[in-house]
Amino acid sequence: MNEFLEQFLIESRELVDQASGDFLALEAAPGDRARIESAFRAVHTLKGAAGIMDFHAMGRALHALEDVLSRLQSGANLVTPALVAGGLEAMDRVTGWLDAMQADGVPPAAADAEADTLVARFSGAATDPPPEASVAEEDWAAELLARYPEAARDAACALRYAPDPDCFFRGEDPLARVSRLPGLLALEIAPAAPWPALAELDPFACNLTLLALLSGPPDAVAGLVTGAEVRPLRPGARSADAASALSEPALALLDAQLDLLAGHPGEGAAGRIASAGRVAGNVLRHAGRAGDAEAVGRAAAESLAAGEGSALARAIARARDGGDETPAEMAAPARPAADTSPEPAGPSGEAAARYLRVDMERVDALLTLAGELTVAKNAFAHVVAMVREGGDPVAVAAALSDQQAGLDRLVGRLQQTVLGLRLLPLSQVFGRFPRLLREIAGSLGKPARLVLEGEATEADKAVVDALFEPLLHGIRNALDHGIEPPAERERLGKPPVATIRLRAAREGEQLRVEVEDDGRGVDVAAIRAAAARRGLLSAEALAALPDEGAIDLVFAPGFSTASAVTDLSGRGVGMDAVRRAVERMGGRVAIESRPGVGTTLRMLLPFSVMLTRVMTVEVDGQAFGIPLDAVVETVRVPRSRIVPVGGARAFVLRGRTVPLLALGEALGRSAGGTQAPDVSVVVVAAGDQLGGFEVERLGGQMEVMLKPVEGLLSDAAAIAGTTLLGDGRVLIVLDPQELLA
Amino acid sequence: MTVRLDGQLVRLEGACPVEDAEVLLRLLLASPEAAVDWRACESLHGAVAQVLLASGAPLQGPPASPFLRQWVEPALRAAMRRGGPFPKGEGMP
Repeated sequence: MNEFLEQFLIESRELVDQASGDFLALEAAPGDRARIESAFRAVHTLKGAAGIMDFHAMGRALHALEDVLSRLQSGANLVTPALVAGGLEAMDRVTGWLDAMQADGVPPAAADAEADTLVARFSGAATDPPPEASVAEEDWAAELLARYPEAARDAACALRYAPDPDCFFRGEDPLARVSRLPGLLALEIAPAAPWPALAELDPFACNLTLLALLSGPPDAVAGLVTGAEVRPLRPGARSADAASALSEPALALLDAQLDLLAGHPGEGAAGRIASAGRVAGNVLRHAGRAGDAEAVGRAAAESLAAGEGSALARAIARARDGGDETPAEMAAPARPAADTSPEPAGPSGEAAARYLRVDMERVDALLTLAGELTVAKNAFAHVVAMVREGGDPVAVAAALSDQQAGLDRLVGRLQQTVLGLRLLPLSQVFGRFPRLLREIAGSLGKPARLVLEGEATEADKAVVDALFEPLLHGIRNALDHGIEPPAERERLGKPPVATIRLRAAREGEQLRVEVEDDGRGVDVAAIRAAAARRGLLSAEALAALPDEGAIDLVFAPGFSTASAVTDLSGRGVGMDAVRRAVERMGGRVAIESRPGVGTTLRMLLPFSVMLTRVMTVEVDGQAFGIPLDAVVETVRVPRSRIVPVGGARAFVLRGRTVPLLALGEALGRSAGGTQAPDVSVVVVAAGDQLGGFEVERLGGQMEVMLKPVEGLLSDAAAIAGTTLLGDGRVLIVLDPQELLA
Repeated sequence: MTVRLDGQLVRLEGACPVEDAEVLLRLLLASPEAAVDWRACESLHGAVAQVLLASGAPLQGPPASPFLRQWVEPALRAAMRRGGPFPKGEGMP
């Protein structure tokens, strides 16, 4: 399976989950606007993904659903149980398609007919409740066609695009969007509301409605102009009011309803009957067969009352075959219901596995290791035999210690190899940006090209996945603020098409990722002014701040939000989000600006999850870890050699005075009551200082994955992180530097 | 500058960004009799087109780019003919 298909499947399933969750929530709380928005976003993104994969059936079905949702958004329609059911059905169908694609690598053949069913269902849902609105809806497209009879002949779709008033602020240019549409045949520009007096016109509030006829495919058009209403035009279906022949798609739709009725009696039958009746009725009405539509409606009611679909199937079959008296017994079984059943077959939700692409070599390395582990395990049998035979304890201990060392090595390699499995090339995240860049650049009217460098560099999956958001912000920011408009670039002698570079490289244990543009650089004076305006720093502090420090202010929380309100373009959008994301990964971020030449956003990230060797110690019955690289040695010190120094205590180790800290007290636990003649002391180095921790007991060493402390503990000093022990307890790993400070 | 006043003519030149909408509006309010010459205009942000449409200012064309010439100019002229509520001059303070 290719990488993009894989990515598509993973993302699509997540989006389906999201939208399904939203529909379910809407069923319980129909007025929940946040859920409507969320479902709309998920469906919209899903549609876009289908477009990228050239999966037109899926795009068409989701576009119809998106229309329904956008009417909910605008408040024109209300959430009804039927609508929720429709949404969920669509998500089920999409899941079925995704399963088929996962199995075969291509969209299933039945998808087209199934999509038609969904489209018919949704267009019914959209026009059913407010009839007068639907008339007006129809009108704009019909009138437009009437005004441009020349263009109407070739038009594949009609577009009505009424951008919301704030769209200029978001950097959208409706005119530029329309200019990129495929196959423009006619364009009308009109005010959305009557113009006010010119003196009262707000030049930055959009009051435009654009109408267009296009020869391009409706899916493609809808994908390019978000939020627009795109009406596919099917001249054939529209003019077939001769009541005789049904068009091809109409016949397919009726067949799909018959299939729906043919299978699966019992559970859900009522829903299927209602749905089939509605779709068939709509199809017939649309084809100008009002009489048949009515007959189907009556039959549907009859079938619903009877709880089984034969009456409805008979009526549909009659209408389909031109109203003659074909008995249903002949029409229904003739259909190969088992093959074309629209019920999603096979594995569904739980098949949604998460995938990781793994180099074959790495799997081989793991196999080798597994073999070596088996050898090591067998060696223990030898030791066990020694013990059974009452062998010399010293020899047994030596053999055990040998084996343990061997196992330690093996486990170390195993750990490394397994971590290696999680390594992904950065192309996985970089590959998503060329298309995004095109979109953002287009909407800003700043032509730009993206150059990827070092995309084969690998990093831990967690890091690669988390990079998307900060990179997106970085690129958006570069286009928004770094890159000059084309005219200005030309005047400056720069190429009119800007270049943005995404660059990755491995630097020792770190990963360097950069977003570099060839724009104007960071306007430091503007940042200082904005920081002063917002009171981020006092005037004196600002004056004393070097330029690099001033640039860093764009990362300050609140810098961007405040500016988005005051400046048209929203200077510094989301840079604090970049810093947050990078720091969450344990990385750092900086901006380097070369005035007039360009800006580089540089992120330094850990290459993988950190493995730390720690030594465990016990204090007051609780185990703590101390990073091994800080430990110099462990010693037992006779109490008599510990001397008070001022308010503290110390002891002398090979001629050096070492301050001694009772770890229990330092951590706020009880001092520990033992009065043994010796104390166990862990000597640690902090910088070039030595210090001793008095502990109750020394434990072993282990290698752990250190998790940074989050939540309530994140402010606690002296804690370097936590890790889970084998028995499920949490081991707190201390930060010796902090403790001694 | 992509928008400037030249006698009784407001000239739009090159690629007119969104910011030009405000400048154009100011110029047209200050010189209600001015016509707009967009023969050197390569592209036009929707916001600028909106000001042209709302003001009903006479346009001197054709503009420089094919998209503007083929689609935007006829659309603007048609919209103004359809009786934007303002034939030239009305709606001024």
